[in-house]
Amino acid sequence: MQRRDIIKTAAITVFGAGLPFSGAIAQNRFAKYAGSTVVMNIPAHPHYDAMQKLLPEFTKETGIKVEVDKVAISRLKEKQLLEMAKPSGDYDLACYIVMWKGEYVSKNLVHQLEPFFANAALADPAYDMKDIVPIYLENLGLVGGPKGYLAGPGAKLYGLPYGAETSVLAYRKDVFDELKLKVPETYTEFRALLPVLKERSGMGALTSRGQAGHQAVHAWLLHLNPLGGSQACTAWLLHLNPLGGSVFDDQWRPRFNDKIGVDALKFLQEVVATGPAGIAGYGQGEANTAFLQNKAAMYLDTTSFASVVADPARSQVVGKVSWALHPKGVKRASQSGGLGLTIPKNSKNAEAGFLLMQWLTSKQQDKAVTMLGGAPMRNSTLRDVDAVRKYPEFITFVEALKHSNPDWRPIIPVWDKINVQALGVAISEALTGKKSAEDALNGAVPQVTSIMREAGYKI
Amino acid sequence: MRTARWVPFFYVGPAVLLMAAACLYPVLTAFQLAGYEWSMGTPWESAQWVGWDNFRLAFGNERVWSSLWTTLLFAAVCVSAEMALGIALALALEHKVRGMAFFRTLFILPMMIAPIAVGLVWRYMFDAQFGPINAALVMVGLEPKTWLADPTLAFAAIVIADIWQWTPFVFIMMIAALANVDSSVIEASRIDGAGWWQMTFRVKLPMIMHVIAITLMMRLIDAFRVLEVVYVLTFGGPGDSTEILSLHIYKTAFVGQQLGVASAISVLLLVVVALLSWGALRLSNPMKDER
Repeated sequence: MQRRDIIKTAAITVFGAGLPFSGAIAQNRFAKYAGSTVVMNIPAHPHYDAMQKLLPEFTKETGIKVEVDKVAISRLKEKQLLEMAKPSGDYDLACYIVMWKGEYVSKNLVHQLEPFFANAALADPAYDMKDIVPIYLENLGLVGGPKGYLAGPGAKLYGLPYGAETSVLAYRKDVFDELKLKVPETYTEFRALLPVLKERSGMGALTSRGQAGHQAVHAWLLHLNPLGGSQACTAWLLHLNPLGGSVFDDQWRPRFNDKIGVDALKFLQEVVATGPAGIAGYGQGEANTAFLQNKAAMYLDTTSFASVVADPARSQVVGKVSWALHPKGVKRASQSGGLGLTIPKNSKNAEAGFLLMQWLTSKQQDKAVTMLGGAPMRNSTLRDVDAVRKYPEFITFVEALKHSNPDWRPIIPVWDKINVQALGVAISEALTGKKSAEDALNGAVPQVTSIMREAGYKI
Repeated sequence: MRTARWVPFFYVGPAVLLMAAACLYPVLTAFQLAGYEWSMGTPWESAQWVGWDNFRLAFGNERVWSSLWTTLLFAAVCVSAEMALGIALALALEHKVRGMAFFRTLFILPMMIAPIAVGLVWRYMFDAQFGPINAALVMVGLEPKTWLADPTLAFAAIVIADIWQWTPFVFIMMIAALANVDSSVIEASRIDGAGWWQMTFRVKLPMIMHVIAITLMMRLIDAFRVLEVVYVLTFGGPGDSTEILSLHIYKTAFVGQQLGVASAISVLLLVVVALLSWGALRLSNPMKDER
């Protein structure tokens, strides 16, 4: 059985429970909660900025009021952990970053969603969970399956994608046309193009995140996954790792310092050397700005960036950008991640919170938020005529999603610690030239091993 | 009518007890937490008593010591520069000059800004592509720098931001202290023929030494606790070149979820700051021998 079939089956099982109930019952599902208030914790993020414009409509339609607690995305987790640890919390709905799902579930902080979808008094029969992009549903919603975070036996639904993304290559079509350059299809072409673009375009070749911590690791992982088959890798490694690089092997032993990991880091070093000045200090904001302000010819990051590129108030490159698939190494492997919505266990108004979550992620509202500049999470929106007319890049995004890898990053509960405190420092040291790629990654192995052992992995 | 000896204690006692509780409770909680293994987001009942293990883990961690060293260096450079600049500015602006009230207000503006905003402002200032600092460098014919992507320059960047924000504090303290110097002493020294140098270093500064000591201590304590500006500006990077101890504690608690270990490191920070403050007071207090 294919992974996509498993997810579809899970979705049908989850949602199918709600189907026998009548539409009349479903139509009254809001009445009981009219007048109540749902408190929602969200980050400052373009998708959620767009979402906020929809909330008055929700209140008008349902009578349920919504109070939004918006915080900086960097402070979201600590605020949620403090809030969700209380016996009775203030949040009825919370936005989380994909990496936290395992930790929240392991700490018993969030509700499983199956009971809500199985409750005829709450579930919307027209919801159509099969329409949600399967890779998003798996990556952001499922916990407890293979490896703890993939779809398969044991996986349960704890959240829904909302602000989800995959990786695509944004490039300056005007620059490529003028210089008669070909958009890179493979990592070999990608690597060869960097110095050429730097020299001939008068701007940085590729902008990237690079700041110590999560940002640097994110940038490195983007290249680690598809690589493994680039020219730097020997045939035997290719045989050992036919699916590209990864952080751990099947026994949870670190393997990120193997030749593929080093190759990915060397590639990132080349990106830093040929990109706009200062990448090693770039957070996502600076990387975005460099592309939006004519300082880089390419940007390999997220589909969520598309609406920002098209916004004349923020972008100097409106109409000059095209989108291509994440280049291929031994395989195509774009990332999957972004943001989701979940219901805290200590919510005072969990059912109304669910109704808001269900409403926001419905077909109609997914299209609405997309037209306002948000990120779609449903196949129907990605293929919607109006949406595609407004965002022609959706055609590329749909293709990219076919290659999206839910296992591109090991989102186990201790990943945040490994990400920020071990790999995030090592990769930053390699990007600033303090250490070679080999030394930096080899140096992180003992710390990562120790974190894994402390977390109970028998390695 | 004589007041009974206990009456002042009766009036002051509640306030003192309240203050003591407010100060001591968090400190004692940190000590208590340092003995437990407890992850954020889990109920306190799940915490496990581990005795001295957290201290062993903290002190055995190389990065704790490297971040302590970074903090010491940061505090030494920042506080020295702030004290020197603050005193110099106060001496320059202590006299009544036209428009001085405006300049005094202008000088103290940075310390009124929230540290997070200071971090964001300086992140923009140091931006390699768009920052005004690089623009100025280019204008005078120098090479632009990748401030936040170079370990040495990134350290310089957090130092500059701190000096910018906190020199005004030293300035305010010093100008207030100088205003309170007895004018008859100044006048007498002038009659005795003291020049600017003697007047400053033999008369004025010794007379405000107690304020200098208190200011030094307050700045030292603050420099050891600085977090937001570094968090926003560099997040401890590149590598761990700007990872000061408070940021390391933050990461240990909120990223690593090791509240016990973070508390153990906090205790270390408390001891270091207490020792340094005591040392600063001992060295600078001219009243220390007058008992």
